[in-house]
Amino acid sequence: MSDVRNNRREAGGSSVITANRLLDGRIVWQVEEGTWSTLIDDARIIPNDEIEAAIAHAAGRQQADGLVGVYGVQVDAEAATPTPVTVRERIRAFGPTVHPDFTPAAEFEAHA
Amino acid sequence: MPDTIPAPALPVGHYGYDQVDRAFLADRVEQFRDQVARRIAGTLSEDEFKPLRLMNGLYLQLHAYMLRIAIPYGVLDSRQMRELAHIARTYDRDYGHFTTRQNLQFNWIKLEDTPDILARLADVDMHAIQTSGNCIRNVTCDQFAGAAKDELVDPRVHAEILRQWSTLHPEFTFLPRKFKIAISGSPNDRVAARFHDIGLVAKPAPDGGTQFDVFVGGGMGRTPIVGVHLRDDLPEEDLLAYLEAMVRVYNEYGRRDNIYKARIKILVQALGTEGYRQKVDAEFAAMNRARYRLPPETVAAIRARFGTPDLHAPDDAPAQLDRARRAEPAFDRWVRTNTHPHRAPGYISAVISLKPAGGIPGDATSAQMDLIADLADRYAFGEIRVTHMQNLVLGHVRQDELHAVWQALRGADLASANIGLIGDIIACPGLDYCSLANARSIPIAQKLSARFASPELQETIGPIEIKISGCINACGHHHAGHIGILGVDKKGEEYFQLTLGGSPGSDASVGQILGPALPEDATVDAIARLVDAYLVHRTGDERFLDTYRRLGATLFKDAVYATA
Ligand code: HEM
Ligand code: SF4
Repeated sequence: MSDVRNNRREAGGSSVITANRLLDGRIVWQVEEGTWSTLIDDARIIPNDEIEAAIAHAAGRQQADGLVGVYGVQVDAEAATPTPVTVRERIRAFGPTVHPDFTPAAEFEAHA
Repeated sequence: MPDTIPAPALPVGHYGYDQVDRAFLADRVEQFRDQVARRIAGTLSEDEFKPLRLMNGLYLQLHAYMLRIAIPYGVLDSRQMRELAHIARTYDRDYGHFTTRQNLQFNWIKLEDTPDILARLADVDMHAIQTSGNCIRNVTCDQFAGAAKDELVDPRVHAEILRQWSTLHPEFTFLPRKFKIAISGSPNDRVAARFHDIGLVAKPAPDGGTQFDVFVGGGMGRTPIVGVHLRDDLPEEDLLAYLEAMVRVYNEYGRRDNIYKARIKILVQALGTEGYRQKVDAEFAAMNRARYRLPPETVAAIRARFGTPDLHAPDDAPAQLDRARRAEPAFDRWVRTNTHPHRAPGYISAVISLKPAGGIPGDATSAQMDLIADLADRYAFGEIRVTHMQNLVLGHVRQDELHAVWQALRGADLASANIGLIGDIIACPGLDYCSLANARSIPIAQKLSARFASPELQETIGPIEIKISGCINACGHHHAGHIGILGVDKKGEEYFQLTLGGSPGSDASVGQILGPALPEDATVDAIARLVDAYLVHRTGDERFLDTYRRLGATLFKDAVYATA
């Protein structure tokens, strides 16, 4: 669920939208309206001055999309691929640091 | 006296459910199945559904749903352990996590699978009820209950009575905040009784019956407090009536306006020990005592639903153990660190360390769970206990069979000789799993246990308790650590604050903050410098805690910060 720590958004920065899937609880990132991916690399990057409207829109259809807890996560403007600015969101994006097999990327490989 | 020997079907070490219990659990599972279906269909919103899933132990954590399963007073039978292994294999990622509240958590559960999982649990008399929410939670108990040589009263029968009293208690479903009870029957507190909302220590009464020491208002979280000693003579007969009065006073006067001030510890501090005692005594005097009276016949009836182990070791069992110890130094060391004296001749309790060097404290794979269930069947009457230190115990092992147990454990990486030593670290799930976390706990524990992996070094350092929490909720008991480590968030990055001098036991104390929080990469080195300073300054066989208490914080502060 959204957390005050995720609302630290800087003007001029950009963010991605995230949620948990209702059925299995897994973390997903919005690719485009109605499409979500377990890989943050696929996420759509949205300027911070548009993010609140985009979050509200996504939250409005979360039941239809099978999601819970839609919120926005600021990403590092300098990074080559979407990388959250907080360690919490980096762990959500890239998986628990203590189980390399359980990262979203490793799972994607395993199922590809 | 054949009529007092329980039927063989009764599980050793815990209460045997009857048909009423089973029918209730089955109903409850079907009720939740229906709620899940309605949630998936969208007729229940998340806001409506969340309290319902929490009542069934299902949290939404960082990466997935987390299911918390109650293990009443920390006792499992082998059949239950095998079922947990099966669930880990089938519905999770092949492991489970044993917690400081003697529960088990699965970290990767799917909402849609949960009703089936709960149905499987109900088949082995297990559930996840009251593992969340503002109710009386799983009652925790001494892991050596019924076995320890230093025990005065086996507290599990009373733990079961408390479980029955508190389960679905109509008045106590919506307390101001969660409520945690621990019970022990030994003068050596192994349950952190003084850090619970209510801590009980059973002991013999002068008249030959049982009475209790009662501690109240202990707790961790953002306001760590050592509980106050309310009674030293609570008669068994009044156990439920008095606890009922204690919780009623809390229910009436505890604060509901501020979640941070809602635990009973805040009420006890606000009223003072005497003020709280007076209110409890008044309630106790006014209530219908007959209704809550706990007569010896009821206690005996509950006791009769516990299977009892038939303890008969060969006369030369201790001699056989001695020989095996002399022949194999590694086994000898493990016996020194990982066993506890048993009340019965020729028996011993064995602690299975879930803390391999570099491992995740409290995690067990399904294969390990199956192996432990097999060992329990073969060597320990099918009974397994969970410790609040996140380890497991085989309570009744014959001394002549201990070597075989050790060999089997060693083959499964379950024989780290580190109980009570620096490798025996408590760590909460932290930021790797927990949505409330500021920082990761597990990697710090892994780095520390890897750094101090050598069993010789650990024995040289001696008893020391390191406890790590990823945020101020203190699920990792950091306040009660000889060295406590607390994760804090500084602008989205992880920092760690050290506290020294906490203790969970009979000499309970709250650790004091040493100085400014350290970045992740400096924390493990800082702990190593604390340990070095201790080794230089200790005298005789002082524990780390004793040296700290004798010399104070300054030299430890210098050790951490002077070189930084
Ligand atoms: C991962 C999900 C968890 C959540 C959301 C959670 C939440 C909390 C919260 C909010 C508190 C503070 C309560 C208060 O001060 O009123 C707390 C305390 C505590 N939790 Fe957890 N916790 C979690 C996991 C665990 C685990 C895994 C354990 C056992 C290892 C645990 C054991 C405890 C203990 C012992 C306390 C402190 C004692 C107390 O004052 O209640 N928790 N938890
Ligand atoms: S102490 Fe904080 S981080 Fe650790 S499990 Fe509890 S709530 Fe989560």
